[in-house]
Amino acid sequence: MKTYTLVLATLLSFTSAYAMDRLQADSLIAQAGRTYAAGDHAKALQLFDSVHTRFYSPALLYNIGNCHFKLNDIPNAILFYERAYKLAPGDVDVRANLDLARQQVVDRVSELPKFTLGSTWAGLRGGNDPDQWARRALWCTLLTFLILALATLATKRSMRRALYAASGLGVLMTLVALGFAAYRHKELTDDSAAIIMTAKVDVRSEPRAASTNLFVLHKGTKVTVLDEEDGWCEVELANGSVGWAPPSSLVRI
Amino acid sequence: MRLRNFMVVLFFCTGCAFTVAQQITFSARTDRSSIAVGEYVKLTVSLSNARENFAPPSFGGLVVVQGPFDNSSLININGRISGTVSRTWVLTATAPGKYVIGSAKVRVGGGSIATDPITIEVTKATTRPSDPYATRGQSRDPNLFITIASNKNKAYVGEQVVVTYTLYSRYANLETSNYDMPQLDGFWADNVDIGDPKWEDQLKQVNGLQYRVAEIKRQVLIPQRAGQLRIAPFAMQCIVNRTLFNRGAVFDVKSNAVEINVASLPPNPPPSFKGAVGELSMVVKVDRTTVQANEAIEVAVTYSGRGNLKLLDAPALNFPNDFETYDPKVTDRITVNASGMSGSRSYEYLVIPRHEGEYPLEPISFSYFDPRTGAYRTIQGEPLTIVVSPSDGGPTAAVQRPSKSDVELLGSDIRYIRTGDLLLRERDSHLFGSAPWIAGMAAPVLGFVLFVGWRKRRDAAARDIAGTRRRKADSLARKRLDEAAAALKGSDRATFYNTLSKALNGYLADKFGLGPAELTRESILSRFAGNEGGGELAAAYERLMQECEMARFAPVEERPREQLYDDAVALIARTEQLMRA
Repeated sequence: MKTYTLVLATLLSFTSAYAMDRLQADSLIAQAGRTYAAGDHAKALQLFDSVHTRFYSPALLYNIGNCHFKLNDIPNAILFYERAYKLAPGDVDVRANLDLARQQVVDRVSELPKFTLGSTWAGLRGGNDPDQWARRALWCTLLTFLILALATLATKRSMRRALYAASGLGVLMTLVALGFAAYRHKELTDDSAAIIMTAKVDVRSEPRAASTNLFVLHKGTKVTVLDEEDGWCEVELANGSVGWAPPSSLVRI
Repeated sequence: MRLRNFMVVLFFCTGCAFTVAQQITFSARTDRSSIAVGEYVKLTVSLSNARENFAPPSFGGLVVVQGPFDNSSLININGRISGTVSRTWVLTATAPGKYVIGSAKVRVGGGSIATDPITIEVTKATTRPSDPYATRGQSRDPNLFITIASNKNKAYVGEQVVVTYTLYSRYANLETSNYDMPQLDGFWADNVDIGDPKWEDQLKQVNGLQYRVAEIKRQVLIPQRAGQLRIAPFAMQCIVNRTLFNRGAVFDVKSNAVEINVASLPPNPPPSFKGAVGELSMVVKVDRTTVQANEAIEVAVTYSGRGNLKLLDAPALNFPNDFETYDPKVTDRITVNASGMSGSRSYEYLVIPRHEGEYPLEPISFSYFDPRTGAYRTIQGEPLTIVVSPSDGGPTAAVQRPSKSDVELLGSDIRYIRTGDLLLRERDSHLFGSAPWIAGMAAPVLGFVLFVGWRKRRDAAARDIAGTRRRKADSLARKRLDEAAAALKGSDRATFYNTLSKALNGYLADKFGLGPAELTRESILSRFAGNEGGGELAAAYERLMQECEMARFAPVEERPREQLYDDAVALIARTEQLMRA
């Protein structure tokens, strides 16, 4: 049975377009883990990538980043670490590897420390997933209205008061959960950050190849895409420098 | 000898008178016409019957070994006295070839006489030629030279080479002054202690020539890199024949240069190889393997043999972390002599186990390169186990704390991948904002609104008592009629009439909100008055009730009970119908 699954998994890894269920994905990941441990990072990357066509999670993105790092593809490693970090800002492993990968980047851009919800609320379990917050909002609403219904049934005056207060608290919690869900949803759907993928890219003053070359960026550098028009991206560096670069040179996080 | 000759001459001079002058002859001869290199040839030049000084002939490349020795003789034969003066040299050649001894000339009377030149054939030495370094040095200057001799021309990196600097001299009086040590590029050098340079007792013969020999210096050289390594010539200034009245002659003597072909070590050395080359062995000694905590153990690693012992590194011993270790004490018993560096070097480690337990020590392995076989050899030490028992020093024993040190970061690498459950989620399926989620959020609100509405209606109904009675009149009446039906079946006459009458009365009272006292014919009539056909119903009720009253109190039955019951049921049904319309 096991070998059968394995053979199936291997077959699937070659025909990744084939529909995949969670069981197959888990077996692929187990196989990829073994391959990675054996040192065949290229094969492990292929397996992780085949899972990634259908599924995602911070841990999966982190593993893909690791494979790229081991294959000495630093820009892709940074890209996937950044994606994993976006999903799980409190993850120390992702942070450590991202820092290590960034050391390999040629460009040194002084980056200001940014406040993220994730790092502050990392203590909250699953506090970074908008769906988790959405689920919490759901439970809070249900609880709130159950308490409200109980309050209408209560006969004692003091009891009724306490229940009304509790339902008020429930409403507050619902709003907080909704707020977090919306905030994280906005953060995750924001794809303005990008990583330079080509070895070298000239950043120009105008969206035109003949314009002044403002500065040169190298692979792995993180930029913010402000605008996109006519096959040119307006990018901003962490230190505030702005210029135009071809979109083929970068991949959004 | 000379004295005797002189006596003889004197005797003849005093005893006899010179009578006749003899014929003058001048000749040169050798005892042999061909020699081998290093052999001697004796050249004698004789002048008879004249006493003149003659100049020595040119030796044509032959070297004077001894001489000249003068000899003179007087011979009296039958009164004829002839006198001969001869001068003898012992010559030799340092190289094979054809040598011509030139003519010797002497002026006698008015003319001069010359001898014939002599040709000497010098063949190669039949015996083994002596030291090639000395032979070459001799060819530079046969009287004074310096050689650098090495015991091998080919060596591996790290293999020791012994180099000797020797001064050869044929001068009786020689002073040496400042000398420059040659540049040793690519070698590690160690001097062999030979004391102050002094002339050796034995003369040394090089190609037949006798030399006084002094060893100036001896060095052990260890090549540090592969390639053609050169020992540059050694230069020295010598002053020859300096006396109180003579300043002497100054010679700048330069030795030969030596080239040594250094081969690199074979590739893929064993992991424990750290540059040891030679013929070595290793002994690991531990003074005890069973100790109490906080007692010291001495671990000694001794390397011995012949090789570059002075260049050996301390062995890498991995003691457990609970052991306090100190830097090793290095004891060298290395002698550097004519055959190179040999002896032993030992590293003594003092370790103090701080905690009880059983500690296996990794076996020490030591690799060296053996130039004789041209291969690496590895010596594996024996595994050791040190058993530490608890200290019985008690609480008074001073516990020394190890000094803390920062954890050293040896390298950096990314952290390992995540394994196990990666908490996968499907892509493009988000709960937040999806239709089921919105429905889920709205459902409690909707549910609550419905709940509140239902509660309101129920409360309003609870407040309307008459209405409730009216609504429940029918069902209550049916229940009583059911009881009556049961009594009918059981032929319980009293109960039947009782319950039937109660059902009818109760129904009307409930339906119209009347108390028991208000249940009169008039009041019932007035209630029915508003409805069409109400009068008829009221009359039917009155009659039925009367029949029931009659039957309850008197044993009279106008109609069968079944008919009465059916009438009552029909009547109530009709009333309900009427009221609803």
